[in-house]
Amino acid sequence: MSSLQRSVSSAFTIAEMEARKLRHDSTELWMRTVQPALWLLIFGEVFNAIRGLAPGGFTYIQYIAPGVLAQSVLFIAIFYGITIVWERDVGLLTKLLSTPSPRISVVVGKALAAGVRGIFQGIMIFALALIIGVNLRFDPLDIAGVLLVSVLFAMCFASLSMTLASFLKTRDRMMGIGQVITMPLFFASNAIYPISLMPAWLQTISVYNPLSYVVDAMRAMLLTGDYSGVPVDIVVLLAFTTAFILSSSVLLKRLIE
Amino acid sequence: MTAPQQLETTGESEEDKGSLAVQVSGLTKVYAGGTKAVDDVSFDVKEGEIFGLLGPNGAGKTTTIKMITTISRPTAGAIRVFGVDALSTPEKVRRMLGFVPQAISVDGDLTGYENLLIFAKLFYVDREQRDKRIHEALGLFGLAERANDLVKHYSGGMMRRLEIAQALVNRPKLLFLDEPSIGLDPYSRLQVIDHIKQLNRNFGTTIMLTTHDMSEADELCDRLAIMSMGRIATSGAPKELKRSVGGDVLTVAATGRLPDSIPSNLGTVASSSQGTMKILTVDGERAIPRITEYLEGEGAVVESVSLSRPTLDDVFMKYAEGSLQQDGTYKDARSARRSATRHGR
Repeated sequence: MSSLQRSVSSAFTIAEMEARKLRHDSTELWMRTVQPALWLLIFGEVFNAIRGLAPGGFTYIQYIAPGVLAQSVLFIAIFYGITIVWERDVGLLTKLLSTPSPRISVVVGKALAAGVRGIFQGIMIFALALIIGVNLRFDPLDIAGVLLVSVLFAMCFASLSMTLASFLKTRDRMMGIGQVITMPLFFASNAIYPISLMPAWLQTISVYNPLSYVVDAMRAMLLTGDYSGVPVDIVVLLAFTTAFILSSSVLLKRLIE
Repeated sequence: MTAPQQLETTGESEEDKGSLAVQVSGLTKVYAGGTKAVDDVSFDVKEGEIFGLLGPNGAGKTTTIKMITTISRPTAGAIRVFGVDALSTPEKVRRMLGFVPQAISVDGDLTGYENLLIFAKLFYVDREQRDKRIHEALGLFGLAERANDLVKHYSGGMMRRLEIAQALVNRPKLLFLDEPSIGLDPYSRLQVIDHIKQLNRNFGTTIMLTTHDMSEADELCDRLAIMSMGRIATSGAPKELKRSVGGDVLTVAATGRLPDSIPSNLGTVASSSQGTMKILTVDGERAIPRITEYLEGEGAVVESVSLSRPTLDDVFMKYAEGSLQQDGTYKDARSARRSATRHGR
């Protein structure tokens, strides 16, 4: 095996480890669907009454469905840093790093595992949308595209979270930073309202917010069918993901020193 | 401080060095805060032996092991594992190692089989060999029947055995055990010790372990080093070390006339009062009949003889004394307790 093959195979092994755990106990996955369901069923339903909030003649529930999916993936991914700190605390991380598998494989593997959870969230949102009658584009290619973006996005923020973990080092601090990061990202994005409604300073921030690009790509595939912005969205997301994976792989050793 | 065996090797040829599993020289680790955890440590571990690294909490044992297993990078010094440089080619070294960390680190949310499967894959064990080795390891450690149960339902002893089994799927030439019997009941502890011995005997696996348990070290280790405050305080075979802190002591209770002294080939009288005599001797068990015979010949009636010999505890207390004032850190206590009580995550 070449070293690239080894790295890829190890990354999938780490992801397999997580997937096997989810197969044994999927309670957490199901609980994770409660929050997006509330956003759609309650928040979406109430704001649906306000006409003209969503651009392009869509209903508000239609408009926020991609945003709610992106947010739920974000919430899953951002807590991956806690998982890695936990595994450090119980000695599992030390043991993973004492194998010949390279460090980047551990990071990519964990990020892929976040992606697996992201796919599950995506499927649940689609199911929910079908049940409550939200009209989305249920085209197989679009669905595949949305799931792919979910995986990339989950990988992006899981590796950001693991990067932060190598500085913060404790579970309590990671809980704190999770809260600190997620809500501002959510509010400074186009997830629940159009960027055009924001004050100018917030619009500037939203340009640098990866969540905006994710929601934009998802919305194109789920609602508008206008793919003109998607290539840029994907490139930006890939750039962020690569940067965070590399930083996390390099910094991971800080956790066990 | 240079360990004696380090001096022995300096004159040896290159071929002889091939039989060394670990060569550590001038190993030093200074943490970011300026704490010197390991301070110019040198020692060798021979191929096929069980080598113990002892010392109080915070002596630098775990840090030393982390550096040899290439998890942590030394500030200075050199490490060779079976002749391979651990600093320039860590992945090559890791392929030869098995590592069982201090805290129980098998994954409670996976089955026993899965825990071994994942590690076999991470060690790139050939697909054809993988299942055979996993089942062999599970069988060897008496876990075959519970292979498909989630590990969080295992007992502490089973988790420890699973961990050692896990470290074996890649057939390591060198196995590291950090506190292998911590938090185990006496029965499980004996089982684990037995397994360690078997591995060493049947597979020729070189084993390096740390422990606080002196009787365990005495029973298992061919040679050991005692660390104190980041340095090697002393090293050698358990027998030599025990001899270095003093010989055997015989306590004789007798009536009748006790002599003031005994012939020097039998030992020396340390104290004698009111029918009780303490005699310092070597090889106490063999000395008992001869001393008894001599005393009775001198007119005493020997009622009882008890033998006490120095233990590794005495060795430990002598060499680790300096750092015993400092208590173990909170982190040590926490990880020990957690590994004893943890069930799954």
